[in-house]
Amino acid sequence: MNVLEVRSLSKRFGTEQAVDGLGFELAEGSATALIGPNGAGKTTTLSMLAGLLEATAGEIQRKKNLSIGFLPQYPRFFPWLTALEFTEMAAKLSGVDSKKARQQAERTLGFVGLGQVANKKIGGFSGGMKQRLGLAQAMVHQPSLLLLDEPISSLDPTGRREVMELLKSLLGQTTILYSTHILNDAEEMTDQLLFLQNGRLVEHGSLNQVRSRYADPQIRIRFENTNAAERFGRESPWPAAIQGTAAIIPIKAEGPIMQDVFRFLSVKSLPVVGVEQQTASLEDIFLKVVAGK
Amino acid sequence: MKQFSTLLLKEWRENLRNYKIFWIPVVFILLGVTEPLSNYYLPQILDATGGLPDGAVIELPDPEPEQLLVAVMGQFQLIGMLVLVLAYMGSIAGERRNGTATLLYVRPLSYVSYFLSKWLMASIVALISVWAGFLAGYYYTAVLFSAVPFGEFLAFAATYSLWMVLVVTLILFASASMPNAGLAAGLTLAALLILQLVDSLFGNRWEWSPLKLPNYAASFLDIGPDAAALTWTFAISLACLIGLAALGIWFMKRNRAKTKV
Repeated sequence: MNVLEVRSLSKRFGTEQAVDGLGFELAEGSATALIGPNGAGKTTTLSMLAGLLEATAGEIQRKKNLSIGFLPQYPRFFPWLTALEFTEMAAKLSGVDSKKARQQAERTLGFVGLGQVANKKIGGFSGGMKQRLGLAQAMVHQPSLLLLDEPISSLDPTGRREVMELLKSLLGQTTILYSTHILNDAEEMTDQLLFLQNGRLVEHGSLNQVRSRYADPQIRIRFENTNAAERFGRESPWPAAIQGTAAIIPIKAEGPIMQDVFRFLSVKSLPVVGVEQQTASLEDIFLKVVAGK
Repeated sequence: MKQFSTLLLKEWRENLRNYKIFWIPVVFILLGVTEPLSNYYLPQILDATGGLPDGAVIELPDPEPEQLLVAVMGQFQLIGMLVLVLAYMGSIAGERRNGTATLLYVRPLSYVSYFLSKWLMASIVALISVWAGFLAGYYYTAVLFSAVPFGEFLAFAATYSLWMVLVVTLILFASASMPNAGLAAGLTLAALLILQLVDSLFGNRWEWSPLKLPNYAASFLDIGPDAAALTWTFAISLACLIGLAALGIWFMKRNRAKTKV
């Protein structure tokens, strides 16, 4: 069951094609990470899905009565309202019953860790607190789809961890589409990856699918000293790249497997510190995708 | 309706916490008080600024109380209106430009409610200001000179109130249609100046015009305006008000995509 389906979605600003023929689906209760370099069209895409921008072409099919929560990259608030007043207003404007709105606002503020400052004016909030308040206003009406533009980029490591845990706890009942630069975190919470570049969807799929396409797994051997690494480079039958005390062998279809490497190392009795097989991180994949495969 | 009351509460808190609901009426009260006071103390003021040359004899006739109230209205027309323009020019354009509107516009927002909540709050502040200013002027005129008949005063202030509400509607229309607060202020002031100029140059050819509202208000203190002309002017003013509000709502909705995300 999809909550949202997007087909050949395009947005043009003057002569600039910001988003070009985008198509994807969001399955109910899943997490989708939207990644891509600056200016790839992530914010424009999210703005169109949130209904702020009209698409130039294409269609967005939303599930019937789909309620959406939106967190912009830099949420701006009225500084003269308190966190509770703002969140309650957000709930009411999204159709929450007046009686329930306050209760729901209080609960949501507690959930994002702003319970202590609920009655403080937003004008005195730090960047991290505003980011949490942004999250609170996006989820106070318990929407079934959350659109989050860089929800964690401006948080410190502790805050990042907390917000990630919080978002994960929502998954299942809530569908989440978020853009991010923090690829470690995307790796941790994603059922679907959408790579955007120059407004186009250049790569997509589950993390494993994308990984296997770009994986190029490699074996990395660390030696005690550079001499050993260099000797390995000269004598091994495989094309090894030597980086200081380490040697890196790409695993191709015809290449070596672990056992071959171990056998070779013990025959030559080289001073080895460690051997590991590495898969490409999302960051490696990102760089490859952006560089044009 | 529920959205309207929610949004009105927001506007109320804004006007309260930005002190607009206090300082704007204070400006109008000062304008209202200055006119009778400065006339009453004119001899002392002249003395304090060096006095008159020896031998000069000057007769200062006591100003008519009606003239003083009309002069107060003249102050409102200049300084009062400028204050309202500056206070409300960013009401819609500013929220769009600084991005605070984004978090409201992404909800199933009723633009009619949003515009009208702003319009009602600004109108309330403008009306409190106009009446506080006029009453202050009326009181000091009565104490220092003589009282204007209260019935005439009420008709005068009420007619001028309609004009002020119309000006507030124009300001909000400009704020909804222009890309930023400065241009909204520019549009409002330019429109008012040009229309007033046109009306004062060629205005003798017609009697029904919202721009004549201040004149008709003033004539209540004199012989009273022509009933038919006043009725038609009211009707046209109301039509202008509704038209400006409707256009403002339309622009507000159309310009939502210009909100900073």
